[in-house]
Amino acid sequence: MSSDKEPLHDEPQALDEDAGAVSRRRFLKGVGAAAGILAAGVIPAFASELVASPATKGAEAAAGESLVPGAQSSLARITEEDGSINYPGKPVSYADPAGDQKWAMVIDVKACVGCRKCVYACVKENNIGRNSGFTYINVMEMEPGTMELESGTLEYPEGGSSEKWYLPIQCMQCAKPSCVYGCPVKATWKEPDGIVVVDYNKCIGCRNCMVTCPYFARHFNWVEPYVPKAEINPKVPLEEKASVVEKCTFCVQRTRNGGTTACTEACPVGARKFGDLNDPNSEVSVLLKTRRVFRLKEELGNEPMIWYVG
Amino acid sequence: MKRFIGIEWDFGALKEASPRYWLWMSLLGVFLVLGGVAWTQLFLHGGNVINMRDNYPWGLWFVDYMYYIGLAAGGLVVYASVHLFGAKQFTALSRIAVLQAGVLTMLALLGIITDMERPWRMVWFMLTPNPTAPFLYTGSAAGGYMVLCFIDLWVLITGKGGEKLAMTMTLIALPFAIYMHTTTAFVLSMNKSRELWHSAVMVPIFLTSATASGVALLLIFAYIVQATTHIKFEPSMFRSLSTLLATVMIIDLFLLVVEILSIFWPTSSMPGHTVRMAEFFTGHYAWAFLPVFVLGFSAFFLLSRRPTRHLPAVQLTAAGMYVVAVFFKRYSLMAMGFSRNTLGQLTGLYFPSAVEVFLALGILSFGLILITLALKVLPMETSEHAHDEGDEAGHAATTPDAVVAEGSAL
Repeated sequence: MSSDKEPLHDEPQALDEDAGAVSRRRFLKGVGAAAGILAAGVIPAFASELVASPATKGAEAAAGESLVPGAQSSLARITEEDGSINYPGKPVSYADPAGDQKWAMVIDVKACVGCRKCVYACVKENNIGRNSGFTYINVMEMEPGTMELESGTLEYPEGGSSEKWYLPIQCMQCAKPSCVYGCPVKATWKEPDGIVVVDYNKCIGCRNCMVTCPYFARHFNWVEPYVPKAEINPKVPLEEKASVVEKCTFCVQRTRNGGTTACTEACPVGARKFGDLNDPNSEVSVLLKTRRVFRLKEELGNEPMIWYVG
Repeated sequence: MKRFIGIEWDFGALKEASPRYWLWMSLLGVFLVLGGVAWTQLFLHGGNVINMRDNYPWGLWFVDYMYYIGLAAGGLVVYASVHLFGAKQFTALSRIAVLQAGVLTMLALLGIITDMERPWRMVWFMLTPNPTAPFLYTGSAAGGYMVLCFIDLWVLITGKGGEKLAMTMTLIALPFAIYMHTTTAFVLSMNKSRELWHSAVMVPIFLTSATASGVALLLIFAYIVQATTHIKFEPSMFRSLSTLLATVMIIDLFLLVVEILSIFWPTSSMPGHTVRMAEFFTGHYAWAFLPVFVLGFSAFFLLSRRPTRHLPAVQLTAAGMYVVAVFFKRYSLMAMGFSRNTLGQLTGLYFPSAVEVFLALGILSFGLILITLALKVLPMETSEHAHDEGDEAGHAATTPDAVVAEGSAL
């Protein structure tokens, strides 16, 4: 696990408590590592879930974020959990090194009109093959009065309808990504800033990650991806993506250089907000503290890092 | 006769083989070549020639993987019962059973390899294995099991180490086979993203389907061997085998029924599960799922009717029906994960393309060629000196009824 997991703090006095918590966590990490040698690394994944949270409780209570004395706020816990998993130590070939941010997105479903501008911007930005038959973002047209995905549809006429509501779905950059856990060769991992990436030069094409992902966010290049020469984005790989799995990277090529994601930029109604949860003043942090939100399939426990407000 | 690694290879028998033998071999050869052509097409054109897509990330090769891994179990159950439970009437079958298990596991692995468009990247399985991925365990278990089966076969043929080594091998192989089937079921059940797969009963149902179809195939295989070679089996062995088959079959069907009940029962039904399962009764996949029940229960009925169940024709029909039923079941099982994608969208019917079908047939004929060759060239019959080591002499005198009782005690 990473050493750059920093809990969320609003008040400076939390720091003293935090020092104690960190040392306790280090100790637990040691226990975890020892168990890992014995059990081929399977046990630490469970052990951290069972043991690590109580160890940090003190620090979070001091941050004053929970109503229950001694309990950690959910948002602080998720932000803390959102760190590197199976990270090989250096960033994936097409990305700059991660900073100390924890990236998240908030989507306003009340504002979304289903125009699919985000989808088109994403296809262009990320060199998605025009012949590939998939997009990173799926906008789902939902029936009024229900959240049931089975009654929604992805194939609705251009423009959308005022009788329906729209739910944009893409890779949630989960804090506990079942795709990363399911990759047999560690060809996909979570970087320290929480972005889930795929190493196109390592992926064996077994497609197990597509089976384990609950959000239909991963896509296999069944054919060699074709992009017109004039439209190729030189910052994003293209040829390497043939016969491997690809997915949304929160536009790692833009966001790690101070930019925002292509979909956020393209949204005509400003329904998407993208930012850093480690920064208490970022748009996403403020939204998550002040608005009523929900997450898609939260009950599965993947801890998705995209929230919806409505 | 050529002696190599302690085995008498009877290559002379191939020269004396009948035209019928060579006709069969050349038919298999044709399918092997067609399979090779299909694989080349897959390399050249990728997704253009197959029907797998994002909605069906795994297709026919995965159906075959589950199916072959399952069939491989039967061989081991019989082989293990010879040594561990003292069911001596199966002794004559042990070599054939182990050969069947080894070859079928090889076919399962070939399915994975031919599905990968970059098989050489498999090296990462060794270099950076991910312990949380179920795929890793089933792959390595299948590889290990295949090697174990071929070592087992060698031990049985050469008689090296005698009964004691054969017993030790069984003690290793039986838990290994259960491990392989369990981890294969894990590839499905360890997915919270796929509602109909995410069930703990997947593991026991995998084991029972595997054992039932494997024993059924072994029964068919034994009849074929008896009809085409000079190897002969006791009628009591067939009776015990079909009793065992009927027992496992009904457990298998029972598990399937309780699984379906828990999906539709008013106090446990959840929309995500019921809409998906409905596809298999009234939707796109009814043709693949309903035969599982029809064939399964009919086969059980055939094997349980006292006046006719000893007839070879009845046993063969029932066994054949169950082998087919389990293939349909595997096909449905694949589709249960994918008939609606993880966003709840109907994905339509997946049916393999010609390239996928010929690739699968090529792999199958490769296995059949290996078995056909082995039956001629290798001493598959339990030979005289093997009898000297055990106490078979005593058991041969046991009355058929006692043997049947012994078989049903399993």
